Amino acid sequence: MMSVDEGRSRAAVPAGRPGPPTGPDRNARMAGLMTAAAGGSEEALGQIVTELTPLLWQVARAAGLSSGDAEDVLQTVWLRLLSHLDGIRSPASLTAWLVVTTKREAWRVRAAGRRHVPADQDWLAALPDQGPGSEDQVIVDDQRRALWAAIGRLDQRCQELLRIIAFVPRPDYAAVAAKLGMRPGSVGPTRGRCLAKLRALLASGPEGSPV
Amino acid sequence: MTPPDAGGWPPADGPLDEADLELLAGIRDLFQAADPMPADLPERIRFSLALRDLEIEVARLAAEEDQQALAVRGPEQSRTITFDSDSLTIMIRIDQNRDGTARVDGWLAPPERRDIELKTGGGSLDAASDAQGRFAFARVPQGTAQLVVRPAEQGASGSGRSVVTPALIL
Repeated sequence: MMSVDEGRSRAAVPAGRPGPPTGPDRNARMAGLMTAAAGGSEEALGQIVTELTPLLWQVARAAGLSSGDAEDVLQTVWLRLLSHLDGIRSPASLTAWLVVTTKREAWRVRAAGRRHVPADQDWLAALPDQGPGSEDQVIVDDQRRALWAAIGRLDQRCQELLRIIAFVPRPDYAAVAAKLGMRPGSVGPTRGRCLAKLRALLASGPEGSPV
Repeated sequence: MTPPDAGGWPPADGPLDEADLELLAGIRDLFQAADPMPADLPERIRFSLALRDLEIEVARLAAEEDQQALAVRGPEQSRTITFDSDSLTIMIRIDQNRDGTARVDGWLAPPERRDIELKTGGGSLDAASDAQGRFAFARVPQGTAQLVVRPAEQGASGSGRSVVTPALIL
């Protein structure tokens, strides 16, 4: 059996892109924004919206909503937060509350079954373009393609979980995973089934043949 | 640095390592490119959160009917949208005026006299429903708009909360 090619999985990531801000600075800043927002600061609330809406967009889309439904659902979620902000104690709880509420609102829309079937959900069909680039870019493109293909071979639950967690600020992983009730597959202090499976797929190459 | 696993793939119960975090960053980049959030969405959400009401009840979009497709009604376009909250159903019909503004006719159920605000990008418009729950805004500028139905008069059965819809595009 091949050993994991660490270099390959590592380099699958286009370098230099900042992820969601992490660390104690972010926590302190978010906690401050939450206090100010609970006190009625529109500006503070607006900053929280700007920071967390990209995550919630992915949650809504991963739940199978059309773009239009996703926009409506996210508005509903944020409006609902206005009545709950007082009771949420930490940035991690806020992220978890928003993610779970988005999922619930998305289920609600889907369960109602009245809305049009989304025509714009075939995201796996096309690998997003990174634009023209250097020789280095060609290597990165191969790695992106391999990662995209591996994601496509995961079961739907893992696709959804990893898609969500990838947008969650790192200190909030555990709180979100616990709230999602996805413990068995989930990412938190441990790697979890879904990431382990993804790494196995990447290491074994397309269709299980050696790379 | 994490040493490569001897003879196998990293176990699910192992601790998250750098390679995991970088994979997650790669997944984020891919989905950000494949299915990006509309750039103006945070702005629209900020608009809908700018409320002076302390206690609110959220009205969810319950149904939307675009009658333009029926095409038998002539050039005029008409949309009917229904919102539901715990205490109230709001139905509105949006018609395009010739001058480019929109006319919004609405009905509340249960029918009640309520003060109603239509927030728009250009400021707020005010109206009130009649005893049959009807209200109207004759000329609303195009763009983002959001309805706020204020609590019923003191002494009435109202919950004391304003009913708020998501912002929609007129």
